[in-house]
Amino acid sequence: MTAVSDQGAAPPARAGGRDPWAVEVHGLTKRFGARTAVDAVDLLVPRGSAFGYLGPNGAGKTTLIRTLLGLTRADSGTISLLGVPMPGDQGHALARVGAIVDEPRFHGHLTGRENLKVLAAARAGDAESQIGPALERSRLTGRADDKVSTYSMGMRQRLGLAACMLADPQLLILDEPMNGLDPAGMQELRGIIRSLIDEGRTVMISSHLLDEVERTCDQVAIVDRGKVIRHGPVGELVAATRSAVEVHCDDPARAARALGGSELASRIKVTGDGLNVELAGGPARERTAEMNRCLVEAGIAVHGLSLAHASLEDWFLSVTSRLGEGQ
Amino acid sequence: MTQHALAPARRTSWLPSLPLIRAKLLDLRKRRTLMAVTAAFTVGLPVIFYGIRVIYHLSDPRHFGPAGTPSALATTGTLMAEFGFIMAAVLGATAGTGDLADGMFRQLVITGQSRFALYLARIPAGLAILLSLSAVGFTVACLATGFLNSPAGPGELTPSAGALAGAALWLELYLIIGFTAGLGLGALMGQRTVPVVLLIVLEIIITPALADHALPDFVNVERLFVGVAMDQLRPAVLAGGVHIGPTGGVGLVIPPMPAWAMTAVIIGWIIGWLAIGAWKMATRDA
Repeated sequence: MTAVSDQGAAPPARAGGRDPWAVEVHGLTKRFGARTAVDAVDLLVPRGSAFGYLGPNGAGKTTLIRTLLGLTRADSGTISLLGVPMPGDQGHALARVGAIVDEPRFHGHLTGRENLKVLAAARAGDAESQIGPALERSRLTGRADDKVSTYSMGMRQRLGLAACMLADPQLLILDEPMNGLDPAGMQELRGIIRSLIDEGRTVMISSHLLDEVERTCDQVAIVDRGKVIRHGPVGELVAATRSAVEVHCDDPARAARALGGSELASRIKVTGDGLNVELAGGPARERTAEMNRCLVEAGIAVHGLSLAHASLEDWFLSVTSRLGEGQ
Repeated sequence: MTQHALAPARRTSWLPSLPLIRAKLLDLRKRRTLMAVTAAFTVGLPVIFYGIRVIYHLSDPRHFGPAGTPSALATTGTLMAEFGFIMAAVLGATAGTGDLADGMFRQLVITGQSRFALYLARIPAGLAILLSLSAVGFTVACLATGFLNSPAGPGELTPSAGALAGAALWLELYLIIGFTAGLGLGALMGQRTVPVVLLIVLEIIITPALADHALPDFVNVERLFVGVAMDQLRPAVLAGGVHIGPTGGVGLVIPPMPAWAMTAVIIGWIIGWLAIGAWKMATRDA
């Protein structure tokens, strides 16, 4: 299965003849006994993009990330990060990569700053000089000298991001970064991630939260049972889902009859003081305007129209065939 | 951020850098309970031992002799070796498994640092703590022997500085073995408790049993146990007046080993456990 994230678009220009992909994976397979966790995955993540790796729990997202980072060995396939082969040249490949895998865990008996010192010591160059800025960026300066055992989940996530920043990373790989966070924590972390993307860093986020990927990423690959089953720009995937319009009017029954005689709607449902109309296809904005015109011409007083994409979640569940599986 | 800059060429040597060793030292020395217990068994033990003897001697000099007799030194040294070995195993197992238990191993591997370097950094870091504390403890014992002793009685010669230095080296070697065994076994098993229990059993049950019973057909097998080999190397000042073997150690039951065999067993234990731990560290899923 191939997931080429620039589907329909030219790959980013090579900078100085260098590899345009932040992550390049071909035929990657990882098995645990008889179970195939990652099944012949091909993946190209362009530099500078925000890439979502989306799938339900148990789909093989974390295994793929662990394999990318050399935490476990692949059974077959090739990997390169920032143009450097993994795991052959691991030290070089990971030098400008920051990652959080699962929940970030640290030495609880050390302070946040001391944990970063330990990680900086394992990195080359001036990583130790990055500790202060990384703490500041992660908004942890005030608690940097407290033991990590006293940190909340959100603070640990932010410390994980600070650890990533020690490498001044060109590529960040974040595995389920929003897990366990309250809404405020999610918003805060989302802001930090967004700022990293805005700086032109490549950010790869694995998540089972569709909404999160939709908000944060511009490219997405959807994985199920170890295989990548869909891929492409998030906008295209959302556009491919059917759109619905909520119509509020003075006579819903007559409005339903008027729209039923047109080719604008594929499904109409009367709901109390209005209608829920699933658009038949075509550009949603134009269809919505046309529908309004149709209703007004039929003498119906339209109080409001609101366009809503059908949930990516519905689409996701249908393509991953997980509906009802747990029952 | 420098966009599209080449990732800097970096050293991925299997030799640990000084900052890496310092980081591991920071991790270990900030484990307060571990440090307190280690200090108690290395420094606290001789202090308490001689403290009690001083109190006894001062309260009833006729029944209790001076605190710092050579036999008291032998007893202290033996206690320090026994308890020190166990503490060394605990420290080694903690050094070998702390990153795994705390979830930091994964974070460290993601830095791209050589797994061997991460592993090897634990050795100087752990030994720096262990050997310095035990050196302080043994210095206390030596000072007590030098200053808390009356003129030696018949058969009790005050040990020379050279003999004391030899005893100190023997003690440190014993602790190095305990530490490396704990480190390697801990890294192999990925947990601390079982390796520590196994090494305690080795130290307080198996080794004394073997040392006290020479099994005619299995003497050479018994000699493969490091405690037996170390007993043969035990300096006279720590032997407590028992018979000293031809190589300098106590050769009470097990026939003396050739020096090369003792050396091979001791080095084999150290290198063997370290190699097993390093292999597991390099191949373990993080």
